[in-house]
Amino acid sequence: MSKIERRRRIEARLGGRHRRERWFRLLGITAVGLALSFLVLILANLVGEGASAFTQSKLDLPIRYEVTASPTGGAPDVRYPDVDYDALVLDALAGLLAVEPDRQMRRELRQLVSIDAGFVVRDSLGSAEQAPGARLTVTVPASSNVDMLVKGQLDRSLPAVQRPLSDRQIAWVDTLRDSGVLVRRFNTALFTNGDSREPELAGIRGAVVGSFYMLAVTLLLAFPIGVATAVYLEEFAPRNRWADVVEISINNLAAVPSIVFGLLGLAVFIDWLGFPRSAPLVGGFVLALLTLPVVIISSRAAIRGVPGSIREAALGVGASRMQVVMDHVLPLALPGVLTGTIIGMSRALGETAPLLMIGMVAFIVDVPTGLGDPATALPVQIYLWSDSPERAFAERTSAAILVLLGFLLLMNLLAVLIRRRVENK
Amino acid sequence: MKHSVITTQSSMPSPRRLLSLALLVFALSPLAANAQSGRDYVYIVGSSTVYPFATIVAERFGRGSAYRTPKVESTGSGGGFKLFCDGIGVDYPDISNSSRAIKSTELEACRSNGVVDIIELKIGYDGIVFASALSAPDVMLTTADIYHALAKELPGSEPGSLVANPNRRWADIRDGLPAHRIEVLGPPPTSGTRDEFVEIAMGEGCRQVPWIAALETSEPSRFRAICHTIREDGAFIETGENDNLIVQKLEANPRAFGIFGFSFLDQNTDKVKGAGIDGVKPGFEAIADGRYPVSRPLYFYVKKDHVATIPGLRAFLAELTSERTLGEDGYLVDRGLIPMPVAERRLEADNARTLTSLSLARE
Amino acid sequence: MNMTTVVLLLSGVGIAAFYAGRSRALRLGGGIDAARHLHSLPGYYGYFVAIWATLPAAFVLLGWLLVRERLLIAWVVTGLPESIRELPPGQLDLLLNNVLNLAVLPDAVAADPVIAAATEHYRAAVEISQWSVAVAVGALAMLGTWLALRLVRPGFRARNRVEAVISRFLVAASSIAILTTIGIVLSVLFEALRFFEQVPLHEFLFGTSWSPQTAIRDDQVGSSGSFGIAPLLAGTLLITLISMLIALPIGLMSAVFTAEYSTSRIRGVVKPLLEVLAGIPTVVYGFFAVLSVAPWVRGLGEALGLDVASESALAAGLVMGVMIIPLISSLADDAIRAVPDSLREGATALGATRYETIVGIILPAAMPGIAGGVLLAVSRAIGETMIVVMAAGLAANLTANPLEAVTTVTVQIVTLLVGDQEFESAKTLAAFALGLMLFVITMLLNVLGLTFVRRYRERYE
Repeated sequence: MSKIERRRRIEARLGGRHRRERWFRLLGITAVGLALSFLVLILANLVGEGASAFTQSKLDLPIRYEVTASPTGGAPDVRYPDVDYDALVLDALAGLLAVEPDRQMRRELRQLVSIDAGFVVRDSLGSAEQAPGARLTVTVPASSNVDMLVKGQLDRSLPAVQRPLSDRQIAWVDTLRDSGVLVRRFNTALFTNGDSREPELAGIRGAVVGSFYMLAVTLLLAFPIGVATAVYLEEFAPRNRWADVVEISINNLAAVPSIVFGLLGLAVFIDWLGFPRSAPLVGGFVLALLTLPVVIISSRAAIRGVPGSIREAALGVGASRMQVVMDHVLPLALPGVLTGTIIGMSRALGETAPLLMIGMVAFIVDVPTGLGDPATALPVQIYLWSDSPERAFAERTSAAILVLLGFLLLMNLLAVLIRRRVENK
Repeated sequence: MKHSVITTQSSMPSPRRLLSLALLVFALSPLAANAQSGRDYVYIVGSSTVYPFATIVAERFGRGSAYRTPKVESTGSGGGFKLFCDGIGVDYPDISNSSRAIKSTELEACRSNGVVDIIELKIGYDGIVFASALSAPDVMLTTADIYHALAKELPGSEPGSLVANPNRRWADIRDGLPAHRIEVLGPPPTSGTRDEFVEIAMGEGCRQVPWIAALETSEPSRFRAICHTIREDGAFIETGENDNLIVQKLEANPRAFGIFGFSFLDQNTDKVKGAGIDGVKPGFEAIADGRYPVSRPLYFYVKKDHVATIPGLRAFLAELTSERTLGEDGYLVDRGLIPMPVAERRLEADNARTLTSLSLARE
Repeated sequence: MNMTTVVLLLSGVGIAAFYAGRSRALRLGGGIDAARHLHSLPGYYGYFVAIWATLPAAFVLLGWLLVRERLLIAWVVTGLPESIRELPPGQLDLLLNNVLNLAVLPDAVAADPVIAAATEHYRAAVEISQWSVAVAVGALAMLGTWLALRLVRPGFRARNRVEAVISRFLVAASSIAILTTIGIVLSVLFEALRFFEQVPLHEFLFGTSWSPQTAIRDDQVGSSGSFGIAPLLAGTLLITLISMLIALPIGLMSAVFTAEYSTSRIRGVVKPLLEVLAGIPTVVYGFFAVLSVAPWVRGLGEALGLDVASESALAAGLVMGVMIIPLISSLADDAIRAVPDSLREGATALGATRYETIVGIILPAAMPGIAGGVLLAVSRAIGETMIVVMAAGLAANLTANPLEAVTTVTVQIVTLLVGDQEFESAKTLAAFALGLMLFVITMLLNVLGLTFVRRYRERYE
C-alpha cells in the first residue's frame, strides 16, 4: 500500500470521525441540558403552583355588635359568653347581599366564609372594647372554596353537582367581589398560624418552629462530636483496629438509608428509653446521628487540607500536638468545617423519612414551645399537606416547598460566602 | 496571623472569645432547663372517618376556649380502641372515636387493663359508599355483587363447597356491569369502616346464599370466615388509614372503586361519586331515613377517669355535644355528618354532662 | 433559682476560675518573667482550674436534670395519704398529672383538698430542690476551684492535664459513630429476631405474597398474614432499574461533558446547578412526582392506548432517576478527572479525536470508579423513601411491567409503622425485619462501591 493510498484512506475516514466527535459532544450537551431542564421544570412547576398561595381572599364585613343569647351550650367562652359570633358574621353577610336567609341559604352563606370568622370577630370586638349596637369593619378570611374560585382554580363551567359551590354561591361571590368587599390580600395566616384542616387557616409557623428546635439539637450534638471525631481520626488516632472500626462505621453510616435511622430512633429513643413521641428532642437526636457522618467526612477533608508545613513549623518551635491542632490546624480548617456542617444541617432540614417513624406526622395545631412538645417539621408538613384532598392545599404545599427551598438556599449561600472569604484570604 | 511566637498571650482567651462563649451558654440554657408540666391537652385517637369531624371540633375548641388544642391521631377505629384500652393514665388517649360501636371483646380488653368507666357518645350517622371518579360511568350494584366481587371464596356448585373467587372483571359477576378489571381500594382491618363494610354490605350479599345464611346461627365463626374474608389476589388493595389517598387514587384511575365514609364523599363531590347500592344512591336524606342500606352511627368513647384530671376534657365534651356542633345547623353537618333527631342529641348532651358510663348500660 | 440562672452562674464561676488559675500561676512564677519558670503557658493553668470548677458541677447538674422529674414525683407520692398511694398506677398517674398541671399555673387552687395539698407539696419540693441543687452545684464549683488552685505551682504540668481531658473527649466523640452503628444493628436485629420467631425466615425470604394486615382481634377476619418479601424486592428493583435507566446515561454524559468538553467557566456554572438538583429534599421530588409526572405518564400511556396504573412504577422511577443524576454525574466526573493527563496526551499524539480518546481510553480507565459510583447510586435508590411513599403504590404486585403499580420495601416500612404500633404483632415487627434487610443490602452495595472507587484511585496515585 502506497503512502498516498494510505493517506487517502485516512482522509476518507476523517469526515466520519469528526461527525462522530460532533455527535458525541452534542450528546454531552444534551445530557447537561436535560438535567438542568429537569431542575427548571421542577422549580417552574412549584413557583407556578405556589405563587398564588401567598395571597388569600378576605372579606371586609360590617359587623353590628349585639349581645344575643347564645342558642347553644358548648365550651365556655372566656370573654363574651353570651354572643353568637357566627350569627353576627351571618347577619353581616345577609345584609351585604340583601337576602332574608332560610335554613338552606344560611348553610350556603356560612360556606362562603372561613369557619374561623366568628373567632376573628370575637378577637377584634374584644380588642376594640365595643359597646353593644356599635358597628365595626372586620376582615375575615373567605372559605377555601371561595378563595379557589377567586383565584380561578375552580371551573365555573362544571355542572353544579360537581363543584363545591352552588350557582347561587358563585353569584354571591361575584357580587361581593364587585362591591369591593371580597379582596385578595397577602396571606399572613400562612406564616403566623400552625397547621389546620382548613386550607385558609393552615400555616407553617408550627412546622418552622419545630424544624428550628430540631436543628438546634442536631447542631449542638453533631457539630462538637463530629469535629472532635474528625480531629481524632486525622491527628491522633493510632493506626490500629479501633481507628479502622471507627472509619468503617462512619463510611457505612453515610450510606445507610435515612429511614433506618428512623427505625433506630423508634426502637431506642421511644420504645426503649421512653422519650415522648412527636417531640423535637427525639427528632434532633435522630437527625444528629444522620448528619454526623457528613460533618465528620467534610471536617476530615478540611483538616487534611491544612498544609503539613504548618504542623511541622509549630512542632518545630516546641508546640505540643494538642497545641498544634487547637491553635493552628483547627483555626485554619474552620471554614471548611463550618461549610461541611452547614451542608449537613441543610440535609437534616430536608429530611422527612426518619421523622415519620418517630411520630412527627401527627396533626398538631399549636405552635410548639419546647423540646418536649408535640411538633412537626417543615418537610413533614409538606408531606401532610400534599396528602390533603382540598384543591387549596396543593398551592399551599408548593408555597411551603418554596419556603423550605428558600431556607436551604440561604444556608448554602452562607456556606458559599464562608468559602469565598477563605479563598480571598 | 496569630500563629506567632510563644508569648504569655498565646492561650489566653480574648474578650471576644469569652463573650461568645457566654452568649452560647446563654442561648443554650433554655433548651436544657424547660420546666416540665403534665399533659395539659386532650388526646384523641381513632377512626379515619371521624377524623375530619374530630379535628374540626378540636381546632374550634382550641381557638374558642382557654385550653390547648387537642391532639388528634388517625389510627382506625380498631387501632384506636387498642391504644385506648391499654390503660388509664396520661400516656393513654382520653378519647377514642369510632365509626362503629365498641365490640364486646374490646370492652373486655379495656376492663382487663383497668379502663372500666367508658362514656359512649353518639355524634350522628354516616353511610359507607362505594365510590369512583366522576369520569367513570354510573354503576348500580347490589350487595350480592359486592360480595361476589370481593370475597376470597365463593360458594361452589353444590351447598357447602367453596371455590376461590374466579371473578376477574366486573362483567364476570353478571351482565350489565362494566367489563373492566375489579379494582377496589379499601381500608385495612384496623378500620371501623372495614368492619362495618364487611358486616353490612358483604354479609348482606352473602346471606342471599341459603346454606350460608343458615350458618349464621349454627356456626357463626364459619359464617364470618366465609362472608367477611376479603380476597388477597390484588383485586382489593388495602390503603392505610388515609381516605384522602383513596380519593387521589380514584381520580387518577377511573376504573377503580374506593370504600369510605359518605361524609368524605360529600366533601369531595367535585372529584368522586358514589355507586348506587340495591337501587339507592348514597345521599343525605337516603342515609338519614335508612333507605341507603350501608350506614352506621359514629361514636366518641371517653374515659371517665380522665375527665376530672385532663384539663379541658369536660369542656371539650360540652363543645362536642353542643347544638352548634351537632345540631341541624351545626358545623359538623356542614361537613357531611348526618345529624341525629333532636331527642337523641339532647340525650347525648345529657350523657356528656352527667358522664353516664357505658358499662352499666351494656350489662 | 431556675436552671438558666444556675447554668449562667456556673459559667461565670468557670470564667473567674480561669483568671484565678492564670494569675496564681503568674504570681508564683514570678510576675512578668513568669513564662520561663512555669512548666506550661499561664493560660493552661487557667483552663485547668476552670475545668475543675465546671466539669464535675456540670455532670452533677446534668445528672440532676435527668432524674429530677422522677425524684420530685416520688417525693410528692410519699406525701400523699395512704388511701391515694394505693390507687392503681394509672389512677395515680392521672392524679399526679393534675398536680403537675396545677403547679405551673401561678394561682390555681384545686377543689379537692388532697390535690391542693399535693400541689403545694410539689411546688415546695420544686423550690427546695432548685435551691439545694444550686447550692450543691455552687459548692462543688468552689471546691473544684479551691482544689485545683492548690495544685497550681510553677512545676505543675497543667498543659498535660488539660490535654488529657481534651484527648478523652476526642476518643469519646469518635466512639459515637461506632455506638450508632451498633445501635442500628442491635435495635433492628433484636426486633427482627422477634419477628422471625413468629414468621419463619424462609417464608420471609422466599414467599411470593405480601399481605401483612392481619386481624387485630379474635372475632374479626383480616388478611391471612403472608410475609413474603419477593413482591417488595421486585418492586424496589423495578423502580431502581427505571431510575438507573434515566440517571446513568444522563449522569454519565453530563460528567463527560463537564470533565472533558466544557471550559472551566461553563463547568463553574453547570456543576453548582447540578448540586442544586442534589440538594432538593426528596419530599419535594415526591410532590413533583404526584403532582406532575404521574398524571403526565398516565396521559401519555392513554394516548398510546396503554393501560397505566395511577401509581405506575414508571412515574416514581423517572423522578427518582432525576434525583440520582447529580450523584452519578459527580462521582463519574471525579473518576474521569482522576485519569492522568498522560493518557489523554498519548491518545491525542496518536491522532485520536476526543471522542475516540474518551470512549477508547478514558472511560475504560475510569470504569472502576464509575462502576463504584453506580453501585452507590443503586444503594441510594433502594433506600430512598419519600418519593416512593408519595408516588408508588401499596399493592404488592409481583410484576416486571413498569406501567403497573408496585410497592417497595421502604413504602411498606412506613405503612406498617405510621399510625398505631404494637411491639408484639408480626405486622409491626415485620417493618424491622424489612429495615434489617435494607440495612444489609445497602451496606453490601456501599462496601462494594467504595472498594471499587478506592482500588481504582490507588491505581493512579
